[in-house]
Amino acid sequence: MSLKGLFLFVVGIFVFGMISAAEDIDNRVREIAHMLRCPTCQALSVKESDAGLSVNMKERIRELLQEGKSEEEILEFFVERYGEWILRSPKKEGFSLLLWTLPGLILLVTVLLLFQYLRKKSLITSVVETRALSEKEQRQIDNDLKRL
Amino acid sequence: MKRKPYFLLGIFVTAGLVLILIYGLFYASRPGEIPSAQISQKAKPFQATTFDGQTISLQQFRGQPVILNFWASWCVACRREAHIIEAAYQKYGVKGAVFIGIAINDTREASLGFIRRYGKTYLLAPDNKTGTISLDYGVTAVPETFLIDKNGIISEKVLGAITKLKIDRFLLNQL
Repeated sequence: MSLKGLFLFVVGIFVFGMISAAEDIDNRVREIAHMLRCPTCQALSVKESDAGLSVNMKERIRELLQEGKSEEEILEFFVERYGEWILRSPKKEGFSLLLWTLPGLILLVTVLLLFQYLRKKSLITSVVETRALSEKEQRQIDNDLKRL
Repeated sequence: MKRKPYFLLGIFVTAGLVLILIYGLFYASRPGEIPSAQISQKAKPFQATTFDGQTISLQQFRGQPVILNFWASWCVACRREAHIIEAAYQKYGVKGAVFIGIAINDTREASLGFIRRYGKTYLLAPDNKTGTISLDYGVTAVPETFLIDKNGIISEKVLGAITKLKIDRFLLNQL
C-alpha cells in the first residue's frame, strides 16, 4: 500500500469513528429524552416535544453524556430538580410502587371473589358424578350402533 | 353479616380507583402545577451576566430575600406581571430585597425590547443557550417565580403571573 493510500485509510477510519460516535450520542440522547416528561406540555415526552424547555433538556442530556454521566445519573439530575413526575415510568418504590401493583392486586382480588361467589352458588363443582349404564341403556346403545 | 367484609373491600377498592383517576386527570396531567421538588431546599447557586454587562451571582445576596423571576418577551402572562414586579422592586429594593429576572428561550433583542417597553430596572439577565439556570430550578413554564428567603432557602414557587399580595406577604416577613 502506498503512503498516500495508507494516509487515506487512516483518515477514513478516523472520520468513520467520529461519525459513529456522534450517532451513538444522538441515539442515547433520544433514548433518555424518551424517558422524561415534557415539563410544559401534556402527555408528551421530551423527545417528542419541540417546546423550548424540552429542547434545552435534550441539549443538557447531550452535555451530561459528553461529560461521561451514566443514564441513571442523568435521570437523577432531572428528578432532583423537577421531582419524580418528570420520569415517564416512575420508580417502583413508595407510593409509585402502590400504583404499579394496584391493578394486579385488584385483578387478583376480583378473581378470588368471583371464584368464591361462583362456588357458593354451586356453579362450579369440583366432583363430576358418574354412574354405570343400566342393562337397558347398554342394549339401546348397542342396537343404535348396529343400525349405523 | 358475612357480606360486610366484601362490601368494605369493594368500597375501599372503588375509592382507591377514583382517587387515582382524580390524581391522573387533574393533578398529574398538569406538570406545572405539581409543587416544586425544591421547596424548602437550598436555592441552587448561579452566575449570570445582566443585559447591561454586570456579573451577578446568587451567593452575593446571602442574607437578603430574593425574588427570582423567570420570564420571556413572548409570554403574555409576563406582560401582566411586569409592572407588579417593577413596582415591588421600587418599594422593597431600597429595604434590601433583591429582584432578579432571568429571560429564557428568548432572543437578546426581544428581551431588551420588553425591558424598555415595561420600564424594568431591577437585575435582568438572559439564561444561557441551554437554559442552565432554568433547568437547575426545574422551571416548567414562564412566568415562574421563586421566593428565596434570607437563608437562601426556596420558600415558595409561583407559577403564572405573580401578584402584589404574594410579594408583599413574603417580603413583609423577611424584611
